[in-house]
Amino acid sequence: MNARLDPRTKLYMILIVSAVVMMSATTPLLWVVRIAMTMIPLILLVAEKRYASALRFTILYAIALVLTFCFLSEESTGIVQSLLIGYCGIAVQFLPALITAWYVVRTTKIDEFMSAMQRMHVPDGIAISLAVVMRFFPTIKEEYASITDAMKMRGIAFGGGRPSKMVEYRMIPLLFSCVNIGDELSAAAITRGLGGKVKRTSVEELRLHAFDWLLVLVFTAAAGIFVVFKYVL
Amino acid sequence: MSENFIKIEHVHFKYKGSEKGLLDDMSLTIPKGEVLLLTGASGSGKTTIIRLINGLIPHYYQGDMKGSVSVAGYDIVKTELYELAGVVGTVFQNPRSQFFSVDTDGEIVFGPENIGMDAGKIKARKKDIVSEMHIEKLMGRSLFELSGGEKQSIACASVAALLPEIILLDEPSSNLDQGAIGSLREVIRRWKEQGKTIIISEHRLWYLKDLVDHVIYMENGKIRHEWSGSEFASMDDEKVRSLQMRPLSVSDIMSPDFAGKENDIQIQEIQDGIVLKDFYFSYNKKPYLIRKKKFQENDEGLSLCILKLTLPKNAVIGVIGHNGTGKTTFLKCVCGLEKDCCGIIETDGKEYKGKERLKICYLVMQDVNHQLFTDSVEAEVLLSMEKEDKERCDQILSSLGILEFKEKHPMALSGGQKQRVAIASAIAADAKLMLFDEPTSGLDFCHMEKVSGLLKSLAAANNTVLVATHDPELIELCCDYVLCIENGRVGYLRKLKGDIKCF
Amino acid sequence: MNKKGLTPKDFISIGIFTAIWFVVEFAFGILGYIHPYIVAAYVVILPLAGAIPMMLFYTKVEKFGMLTIMSVLIAIIMFVTGMGYLGAPIIIISGLIADLIAKSGNYKKFSRTVLSYGIFCLWICANYFPILVTADAYRQDLVDGGFSAEYCENLFRAINPNTIAVLLIVCFICGCIGAFIGKAAVKKHFEKAGIA
Repeated sequence: MNARLDPRTKLYMILIVSAVVMMSATTPLLWVVRIAMTMIPLILLVAEKRYASALRFTILYAIALVLTFCFLSEESTGIVQSLLIGYCGIAVQFLPALITAWYVVRTTKIDEFMSAMQRMHVPDGIAISLAVVMRFFPTIKEEYASITDAMKMRGIAFGGGRPSKMVEYRMIPLLFSCVNIGDELSAAAITRGLGGKVKRTSVEELRLHAFDWLLVLVFTAAAGIFVVFKYVL
Repeated sequence: MSENFIKIEHVHFKYKGSEKGLLDDMSLTIPKGEVLLLTGASGSGKTTIIRLINGLIPHYYQGDMKGSVSVAGYDIVKTELYELAGVVGTVFQNPRSQFFSVDTDGEIVFGPENIGMDAGKIKARKKDIVSEMHIEKLMGRSLFELSGGEKQSIACASVAALLPEIILLDEPSSNLDQGAIGSLREVIRRWKEQGKTIIISEHRLWYLKDLVDHVIYMENGKIRHEWSGSEFASMDDEKVRSLQMRPLSVSDIMSPDFAGKENDIQIQEIQDGIVLKDFYFSYNKKPYLIRKKKFQENDEGLSLCILKLTLPKNAVIGVIGHNGTGKTTFLKCVCGLEKDCCGIIETDGKEYKGKERLKICYLVMQDVNHQLFTDSVEAEVLLSMEKEDKERCDQILSSLGILEFKEKHPMALSGGQKQRVAIASAIAADAKLMLFDEPTSGLDFCHMEKVSGLLKSLAAANNTVLVATHDPELIELCCDYVLCIENGRVGYLRKLKGDIKCF
Repeated sequence: MNKKGLTPKDFISIGIFTAIWFVVEFAFGILGYIHPYIVAAYVVILPLAGAIPMMLFYTKVEKFGMLTIMSVLIAIIMFVTGMGYLGAPIIIISGLIADLIAKSGNYKKFSRTVLSYGIFCLWICANYFPILVTADAYRQDLVDGGFSAEYCENLFRAINPNTIAVLLIVCFICGCIGAFIGKAAVKKHFEKAGIA
């Protein structure tokens, strides 16, 4: 079985999962469907050898579920409970979407993604910008790490107690770096033909395999069950 | 056409917003298949010529341009940049900022995909390039986890995948160590064999000396000297020095046999030194399981393992070793930036642990842009002082020769000046142990001499200076000792004799 | 290539600033999990926090489409990271209007930039969209989904059809204030350093 999914299938998964997290589960059957839906991206993460994140998510989700079902109820009050409820509520509610999102972002290559966007007739400009967004998150992380190191060395990590300085000292060097990197990145990309009039090709062949169709079917069914049981019956 | 493959005619150029012109009536013809080296001080117009040929000037960098440039039959001014993509390829200076994808495979096929090549053809081409450049083991990896040298290999592969007739390299070795420069040299040699026209702008000359057919020395936007490849290779040292170029041959000061084992220093020899004790660190394993666990000497997979090391005081110590052997890790651990590394620094009878280390150490980073926070040079220095003392600030600034920029924004300064600002704040913070990470990468010889003078004067002012570097020239210029780090362990600490002259 | 239109360089700039903005918003957005009132306070926090990069962004591209594309990107990111898609039209509309306003001032006139950024920030309210449109169902969902009644009460006390107008206005005002702060920071640093 080919575990590499078509990016379009992945986007469809997100669509369904984020729709389902909006309609929360009210009956045991719906809970089962929901948990099953959460399991799929977890299994896919394992299939992509992303064991650490799969494990982390599983534990988080399991803890949140156990706490919600065993210890908390609508009547819970008190500070500890209300904080716990805040966290568990969020976790149970949005983790499925977060896990799916994580899976998609982490396992989709920029190339694949751009090619999928092209297939879906998204304009090139938007595809380029989106690709840059994806490439830039790790860059921001690297730059930010260096900047906080430098701040520690200067002893200004807390901006001398002034929050405005805390933001300024972090933001300004970060922006300077990003603008510089952006300039060099554009120059390098343009000299390699980015933005030409010709239609971009891709070595990533996008094809919906049987497994893609299976997942599409499963997710459609899950969404169907939710809609039918919550709003029709 | 084969005679004048690239033709630059009477070009004047001035960047938008700058006062003085960078190129002044520049004319240059380059025949097909030539390997041309452009050298000269920073700001002499080398990069501008590269940008004229790849069309970034006038299409990307704006400014006043007069004259004409034609490359392989294209009139650059009238040609759009993407039309040049398959004709001219450019390898840039900074390996971190020139890739567009996040994975290596995607990066190599990026160019061919942009010009709309057929997918099957791209795949075949990628396979050829990968096997030709021997980078099989880099495939399928994230670009963010590669070393600078590996990134530069991918950048070369990505440019080569478009099969350009002309390849430009803009200071490609700036961030590379000896080994990586060796492979870069191999790549260039192969391109030369394939008959490509190659233009390299570079300060480091030793690795190119046998490869180039033609050398141009630039000064203030004009061609000052021209040599053929053989004239250049046989140029005597005196002439090289008088032109302020980096040496044509470098000593093997980086190799373990240099200066001989008899100069190795044993721990007990240094009486009054700075002692580093129990520095252990690993990137692979976080020391926390449930409770905080410290790294131990015999842990597996340590990226840094130093039991005890005594550093001589008030000296300049060069830290050498290949890329990825832990030089930067060593510096970061010493000054306490890796908080999982619990080493102890002992000096003057005092012990510094944990965060206290940050008080006596100061690291000048490779990318100084990260450590400049304020809107004027003066504020930057005052920020480092416990009590603001403007007089002392002026003193420090004038001792570093940057007093005139006191009111300016640090980011508006040149690279070398920024470095001085960072050093000024280190002095203001009363750091006794100053660490430098690659302070001379990408500098011309003149600036390198300035940096070395600065390091020496810091040592003379009772500071201990540790400088991680790939430049043998810098070590020769200013280091008293060499500390070699191999796989996170101390290889040796060796005293250099004062009379070593290798070029 | 039409000199007036967006060049690849502009698309890359848009991507970079979207990434920065998103990181900033996300860093502050996390705070909302602590207490529902903070969710309501997004309208104050986010416009102020995002102002510095945005004011720099306004000086970098200066072409029609920059804000529209950014809002499309934000809508897509919100969707991909599982934060729903009901608000997408609002996000894109506010981006488009902001773009038109900034264009009317040729991307140079500061007064228009202030207005434009104020409008642009209204997308933040798109996050409240599900709470408003499906208020009753959503409340039931939250309770069933494990949120306590207390959290929900607080949430709905802060965000409901009566307060949304106030929230929108506050958001706009904070956007305008943010624009002034951001502009000051750009002047202090980027213009002085000569890169804006």
